[in-house]
Amino acid sequence: MEALLFNVDSGFLEGTVRGYKAGILTQSHYNSLIQCETLEDFRTQLSATDYGNFLANEPLPISTATITDKATGILVDQFKYLRNNAVEPLSKFLDYITYGYMIDNVILLITGTLHERDTHELIERCHPLGVFDSMPALCVASNVEELYQSVLVETPLAPYFRSCLSASDLDDLNIEIIRNTVYKAYLEDFYAFCSNSSSNSNSSYATPGLNAATTSVMQRILAFEADRRTVNITINSFNTELSKEERAKLFPCIGRLFPEGNNQLAKADEIEQVRAVCESVGEYRQFFSDSSNGSAGENADGSEPNTLSHLESHFFQTEVYLNKLAFLQQFQYGVFYAYVKLKEQEIRNITWIAECIAQNARERVGEIVPIF
Amino acid sequence: MSDDYPSLLRSEQMSLVQLFVPTEVAHDTVAQLGELGNVQFKDLNPNVNPFQRSFVGEIRRIDEMSRRVRFFATRIQQEQDVVPIRPLPESAPINTTGPRAAQTMDELDVTLAAHEQRLTQMNDSYQELSERTKDLVEARHVLRETAVFFDKAQVQQINIRTSFDDSAAPLLRNDDCENQYSSGAVGQFDLEFIAGTIDRTRVSTFERVLWRVLRGNLYMNHTDIVEPFIDPVTREETRKNVFIIFAHGDVILAKIRKVAESMGATLYPIDANADKRADTLREVEGRLEDIQNILYNTGSTRRSELIKIGESLRNWQEVVRKEKLIYETLNLFNYDLRRKTLIAEGWVPTRDISGIQIALRRATVESGASIPPIVHELRTHKTPPTFIRTNKFTEGFQTIMDSYGIASYQEINPGLFAVITFPFLFAVMFGDIGHGFIIFVAALYMILAERKLAKIELDEMISPFFYGRYIILLMGLFSMYTGLMYNDIFSRSLHLWHSAWDFSTTGEKLVGVDNGYRYPFGLDPGWHGADNNLVFLNSYKMKMSIVLGVIDMTFALCLQLFNHIRFKRSLDIYANFVPQMIFLQSIFGYLVICILYKWSIDWSKASTSPPSLLNMLISMFLSPGKVDPAEQLYPGQPFVQVILLLLAAVCVPWLLVTKPYFAWKEMHQIKKQGYVGIAGNDESLDGVLEDEEEGAVVEDGDEDEQHDFGDVVIHQVIHTIEFCLNCISHTASYLRLWALSLAHAQLSEVFWSLAQALQSTLDPGMIGWIISVIVWLMWFSFTVGVLCCMEGLSAFLHALRLHWVESNSKHFEAGGYVRDSFCSWTLAS
Repeated sequence: MEALLFNVDSGFLEGTVRGYKAGILTQSHYNSLIQCETLEDFRTQLSATDYGNFLANEPLPISTATITDKATGILVDQFKYLRNNAVEPLSKFLDYITYGYMIDNVILLITGTLHERDTHELIERCHPLGVFDSMPALCVASNVEELYQSVLVETPLAPYFRSCLSASDLDDLNIEIIRNTVYKAYLEDFYAFCSNSSSNSNSSYATPGLNAATTSVMQRILAFEADRRTVNITINSFNTELSKEERAKLFPCIGRLFPEGNNQLAKADEIEQVRAVCESVGEYRQFFSDSSNGSAGENADGSEPNTLSHLESHFFQTEVYLNKLAFLQQFQYGVFYAYVKLKEQEIRNITWIAECIAQNARERVGEIVPIF
Repeated sequence: MSDDYPSLLRSEQMSLVQLFVPTEVAHDTVAQLGELGNVQFKDLNPNVNPFQRSFVGEIRRIDEMSRRVRFFATRIQQEQDVVPIRPLPESAPINTTGPRAAQTMDELDVTLAAHEQRLTQMNDSYQELSERTKDLVEARHVLRETAVFFDKAQVQQINIRTSFDDSAAPLLRNDDCENQYSSGAVGQFDLEFIAGTIDRTRVSTFERVLWRVLRGNLYMNHTDIVEPFIDPVTREETRKNVFIIFAHGDVILAKIRKVAESMGATLYPIDANADKRADTLREVEGRLEDIQNILYNTGSTRRSELIKIGESLRNWQEVVRKEKLIYETLNLFNYDLRRKTLIAEGWVPTRDISGIQIALRRATVESGASIPPIVHELRTHKTPPTFIRTNKFTEGFQTIMDSYGIASYQEINPGLFAVITFPFLFAVMFGDIGHGFIIFVAALYMILAERKLAKIELDEMISPFFYGRYIILLMGLFSMYTGLMYNDIFSRSLHLWHSAWDFSTTGEKLVGVDNGYRYPFGLDPGWHGADNNLVFLNSYKMKMSIVLGVIDMTFALCLQLFNHIRFKRSLDIYANFVPQMIFLQSIFGYLVICILYKWSIDWSKASTSPPSLLNMLISMFLSPGKVDPAEQLYPGQPFVQVILLLLAAVCVPWLLVTKPYFAWKEMHQIKKQGYVGIAGNDESLDGVLEDEEEGAVVEDGDEDEQHDFGDVVIHQVIHTIEFCLNCISHTASYLRLWALSLAHAQLSEVFWSLAQALQSTLDPGMIGWIISVIVWLMWFSFTVGVLCCMEGLSAFLHALRLHWVESNSKHFEAGGYVRDSFCSWTLAS
């Protein structure tokens, strides 16, 4: 039944997003992009793809920042087009996608203000998908309470921030804690929204629910996202003043590691323990396999950054893989989320290649996560 | 050769030619060929990245130039007053060929860069000045608007004071007196405040945030600035508001300032003292005047620069476009081993080869080089592209057929016949002199105003009509003809000659009596308004549709024959064409003959009653050999029908078996001679031999499809079933001619009688006249809107379908690919 009526409201947009997806760069595009000698070549090469002549009107010495900005601009335009044409519950779903960017922007602004950066410069660095009206006023606040009362209370992020009002001062550690608490709340809320359990007290959905296909696709993606955060928080909190109880509070209560994996991670002290936990889940097993083979734990200090960068790229690959899976199923909203994430990865790839070309670091140019 | 002149009947004969172009003349050669526009170059380096090709440097330089030209164009567009752009034909062309070409391009590059630099500089200073003007204007607004707040406040204070001090009078509100009192009043203003401007869309957010930051203790006033601020670069309008916030305490003020600044507001220092405010206002206005003067001067110099650019802008655009095309084409070429010559391959209409040679020679002469490019014709197995020369008259008809499918190379092109059949089939459905005349006149207008209309950008609705203006013209003409045949003009009839019927009253009825005259052309007007008019017309038009349909299908089937002869497929003639023809004729050809025969008999004097032809056809299948003698059309009918039926029945297995049988036999023979299929091997061997003879390289990219025996069988089975079933369904499909024609006639009659009825109810007199004019105007607009446009479109669609499905399926292979030529410059712009 859901499939029968899906196209009434969302068929056009799903078609549109699948059309957009067809424009995502493929391996052969990357192959030719990698061969470029200069950024001008890069521009010529990109103009043969769906990006078209988006850089045609830029005066000649092109910077990588311009390329990234313009590419992000395309994504933002596409997203806004989708958002403007969407009806409930898809519009709500698309809003949820932007919340993640809003959280990032809020944290960026708070951190920037803490380090006394120029507000306008900070605002320019914000992700355009997460911009909201009262955002600039964030830099006035000096503690969380004030932050919440003056600005955030009227944004959709308010419920997420409510839980971390206790943190009194804004310093780097606290901001990090806030970021993770808020993100945890956001992920859990998004997960609940996608699961449509609607009993969640934080948010009241008066909207028609999402269908089962969306639920299954989005739960898979969000569960991975949650696990990724959990593992990252654990690893990053080694040797910091964050206590283990506090650490446990930051873990999202969803994902495949939840609950016993999370419990073990909360007690972990070194990376080997994290590995042991991750091996309990089939898909995550290989994340640590490269590093353990390579250095076999003989000198822990030297191998750690290596392990982490491997881990990071494994995470990205899995994310791309899961998002690609979303396109295999029809009549569901997962494609919208997946498209935004894939496009984001593509922009990361483009930026990476462009940076490598600009800085003449051609030997590292291949370290991208190809999508198709 | 039979085709000395280019014709629409078959696509042009194409040759694959190879050009050896010395590097120094390459550019000019391509420029010349581009003017000619009839070579389709093949990409000889398909595996090379676009940025690794030979001329990528030049292309990049031209890209940069075109960016500058685009920059000029947008600047000119953004200019408020229209900057004249001299159209292309009026400006002196820039010659980019010949020995001085490189120098010309260099000069152009330098000129463009210089212009760009000047323009950017002027823009920057203009923008800076505008920015300052904007600030000053805002400051002025803030001063004025805050003055209002202060005045109000002052009045209130004065009012308060009046209760204690009687000497204060309402006079004090006067501006003259205010200054005296302001010094006294200043003391009252111990409240601190912040004033500034902010974007109007942000006012509410700003207010909300402030309210929260100040914990509800917000005293804020804001008013709209009436005139919008216009961004000097993007020409976007922004509307702003002046605000003033009263607050107390340094911390709070600092907070407000911070919020305001982060929300994009501009703050202006305002003095509480009215005197000082007035001073500032005066100063601001003075400065504003100065800056506006400078701004005006900068603006006018910028404008004159733009006008100068506008004079040659079109020219530059043209040159840049041309050069880019030339280098993109050059990128398709291959260098020879010593990199002295470029090798190009492309398809050329065979008859144009001499023209190309002349162009090449001209290019050599112009560039002053000694070695001319060499043209060399290649032999190849590849199917050449389909290229049909059209002119503005045939273009529309050809497009109709091309949108169904591109004709195979050298196949009979149905576009030629569509020139007549299309308007004719349309007119059969649209037959009315009046309506035909209206669309004829409309098309005639478009044709006469062709040059003028071609220059204007027509909108999406009208441009297809303009594109098909010659089709519409013929459609109108043919509709007038069929209208004459149907004797229909706006659903009335013409009495050109004496009718064959006299009407006299017998009893209560008017009865027509044959008076011996015969109406010489078209339908007798006597039928108009008769009770049995519809019965007669239906029978007549239905039969006519069948006759026309069978003729059309037979004709289309015959075209197959010409294709078979042309491509020397004699087997297809015996295995396909002949049985198909017999099948069609023995059933439906016979029906047509019966129809015509039945029309020729005067049934009132005949001994038998007129038979129903439909029943006759059905019973021919169901009970062969039996015909009711009372309804016999002619003697010996049962025998003839049995023969025809047998003929048709024989055709089915004939069609089904012959071709596969011969294919099988051929295969068998080849095997018997001891050949073993090594797929495509001998083919490439041939190619190699040929290459050696020709001394040239022919890529044998696509191998001949190995036709499997199974494929042939399946194809033929499908073909047979399809043909036999389609014969029946297509004949029935032509009945749409009758249906649409009937609907059209009825609808126009409804409109007419409605208008007539409305008019007859009116009283004579002034008002009656006016209303009847309105009624007839409405009738006319309905006629044009509903009958000519909507009905016309539907008849158009049905005619389209009859061509694409009923007629094309009989012969049209449509397996070609279109020749996308390296276009001639003039057309592409």
